[in-house]
Amino acid sequence: MKYTKIAKSNYNLHIINTNKFKTIMIKINFKRKLKKEEISMRNMLVNLLFESTQKYPTKRLMEIQTEELYELGYRGSNYSSGIYNVMGFDCVFLHPKYTDDNIIEDSFAFLKEILFYPHVEDGVFAQKPFDIAYQILEDHLNSLKENSDLYSQIRLYEELEPDSVISYRKCGYQEDLQKIDRQNLYEYYLDVLKNDIVDVFVVGDVKIEEIEEKVDRLFKFSERNKVSENHFYKPELTRQDVNFQTELTDFKQSKILLGFKIEDASDFELRYVLNILNYILGGSPDSKLFQNVREKNSLCYSISSVSQPLLSVLLVHAGINADNYDQACSLILEQVEDIKNGRFDNNDIIKAALTYKNSMIEITESPDGLISLYSGIEYLNSDTLEVRNQKIDMVTKEDIVSLAHKLKLDTIFFLEGGKENENEYN
Amino acid sequence: MKMNIIKHFDLPLYSERLKNGLIVNLVPKMNVSNVYATLSAFYGSFNNDFKPIDSEKYYHAPLGVAHFLEHKVFEQESGEDPFSFYTKNGADANASTSYQKTTYLFSGTGYLKENLNYLLDFIQQPYFTEENVTKEKGIIEQEIKMYDDVPYWKLIERTLYNAFHVHPLKYPIAGTVESIRSITVEDLYTCYNTFYHPSNMFLTIVGNFDPKEIMTEIRNNQNKKKYKPMQKVELASYDEDDTVIKDYDIIKASVEIPKVTLSYKFNVQDYDINQLKYYLNTFFELKLGITSKLNEALKDNSLITGSIDIDIISTDRHILIVLLFESKDYQKVIEMIQKELEDKQVLEKDLNRKKKVMKSACVYRSDNIYSIASKINNNLINYHEVVLDEYSLIDALNVNEFNEILTTLSFENKTINVLKKD
Repeated sequence: MKYTKIAKSNYNLHIINTNKFKTIMIKINFKRKLKKEEISMRNMLVNLLFESTQKYPTKRLMEIQTEELYELGYRGSNYSSGIYNVMGFDCVFLHPKYTDDNIIEDSFAFLKEILFYPHVEDGVFAQKPFDIAYQILEDHLNSLKENSDLYSQIRLYEELEPDSVISYRKCGYQEDLQKIDRQNLYEYYLDVLKNDIVDVFVVGDVKIEEIEEKVDRLFKFSERNKVSENHFYKPELTRQDVNFQTELTDFKQSKILLGFKIEDASDFELRYVLNILNYILGGSPDSKLFQNVREKNSLCYSISSVSQPLLSVLLVHAGINADNYDQACSLILEQVEDIKNGRFDNNDIIKAALTYKNSMIEITESPDGLISLYSGIEYLNSDTLEVRNQKIDMVTKEDIVSLAHKLKLDTIFFLEGGKENENEYN
Repeated sequence: MKMNIIKHFDLPLYSERLKNGLIVNLVPKMNVSNVYATLSAFYGSFNNDFKPIDSEKYYHAPLGVAHFLEHKVFEQESGEDPFSFYTKNGADANASTSYQKTTYLFSGTGYLKENLNYLLDFIQQPYFTEENVTKEKGIIEQEIKMYDDVPYWKLIERTLYNAFHVHPLKYPIAGTVESIRSITVEDLYTCYNTFYHPSNMFLTIVGNFDPKEIMTEIRNNQNKKKYKPMQKVELASYDEDDTVIKDYDIIKASVEIPKVTLSYKFNVQDYDINQLKYYLNTFFELKLGITSKLNEALKDNSLITGSIDIDIISTDRHILIVLLFESKDYQKVIEMIQKELEDKQVLEKDLNRKKKVMKSACVYRSDNIYSIASKINNNLINYHEVVLDEYSLIDALNVNEFNEILTTLSFENKTINVLKKD
């Protein structure tokens, strides 16, 4: 495997040359600082651009073209990366060896259609694809409460720090959506093309010169300022007492979530120590939370902890019976206390580090993984795989205990369900 | 040990049926670093009535026992938790239960022999006690409730309940809170002893390893263990009627947009069921899928925003086609679908395009060790052997035969289930 970065004045081209896959993948990322009111706009844009193009004015025609291109797959996404938002468009297709000689050109051209030749009428986005994209997003926003896991997490993040990036809903907001029309969305689209920082990733058994020539010729990005800030967000730590929030629902199961902010952690702590701490606390079926709350006390089926190094946040979530709230809550907090008090052994650290290293191997086993690896290096200044594998072994028990003391319990969110279970199958 | 080439994956397959009956399939794929191994029993929620090994009488198991067993197989007499063993080696482990199989798996880099022996050993040494069975009930109760809270599952479960009279497909794989409360240690041993005999199990390994060395390791492990001779499990057959129980049902749930299934039940005893699945899947994709004119018309009329999901579920006698979509005006959507299905003609050029898609999908799949293993395991369920050349199955699809088969199908046996607010 060979990685080449070609930094140009208008965009960066990253080519990951490997003969491991029978596919070639191209992903184009547009990045800018995250503003709350732009989230809905960016989500709308991804939906809309994938609905039709000038050449393929309906989804049906787009899809038939992907079938002609040997089942080319294409996806769009918006994700937040600390204080930035990254809007990505990708295509995966089979290597010429399994298809025909023109497949690279034709597949890149398909992605070019999506990005540069959208379905436009009278200088703004066409009505039909706009309406469909709008409806998809509106339906999604209206149905958030149907997914208790997703909804409870959204609510926890909102409670943690209203008005900062931590609280922003990734799906967007009803009130922002209502302000979007064909005109202002089209203007926003032009602005993204002109001003967002662009990175193009290509993974596969390819020739560097050929890819560079094609990307330059097909995707004409204008000149722009490519300077980026650090993505990491440092949360505010002003809360004196824990913030308790409860919402009633008609779900059978209740969800309990605990949100911790991490006070003033170093780079090494966020990138490495946090990973090990999270693994020991609730990152695997062998973790303290899983073993003690689920296996020993039978209080739940799902329980885990998740760390967000870019936001300096750690959260724990579990699905329980409402009656068991107090017991579950104190058991969860007990596990965190145990880590603060060093009640875990070196074997736990060794296991966590080995799992981390294996996940680094797993990353190189898929084109998606490789792109996330190199976008991490580009965006977050992440270490290379070799350095990561060395640094993860440097994490000590003292490091973990010391980071655990920086965990500040901020909010406990309880989505209370508990309708009695009726047997529907008599 | 036999060696063949799986043509559509362009990979070798080493296979052997061991003396004790265990089916072993090994697919070395040397350009990856990791290995994925699955050990499965031909045992899932469909097998709820059977003659236990050494018994003459049929036994009716509590609903959800196969899934309960999957949880409890992890219990070891030594007290060691298999998850803990696997994390020590940096590997991931898991298990799942479906209609027709129970699968235990691990994936990881290095320690293959150790991980593999552990997999065979922990599954082949059950340890069920009153205490550990009781403890599991609280956990599985939460798992059932978690699924009950997902509108999609609620709808699918009710659809199956309304489509089938007696076949266990009628009931959720995990059972119900009531049924799992009644499960005893004896139930678990009865099911375990019947279905976890090596002759009713299959081991599939895909990834970076030496097949000869690993086959020897597996043989050595199995030769150390004593089993009764192979015995075919006698399963009860279900006298399932061709009709559905209820052709229309409404389920209340707080969802913004009604979610609907429109499902057709066919008796498929006179067909080659595997071939029929190819044809049915292609037919519904062409008629209602994302490349269909109907889908475009539904979107143009603001009736749906996405696509209609098409799912094919089969038993030994029946196929149920489940069409799932969301729409505020679902009556209109159902009407349009039904009208579209009246025209059963398929064009050769459309079939050819879909054949190209199917073949391409094989190449995509061959890059991924998890997809390869899952395809092999499904082959063993559906074909009772590993398919060595899927391309030839796809090439054999023919438009005349297709159209002929379509004329024999009637779309009258249907059940409509609607999940909505009021």
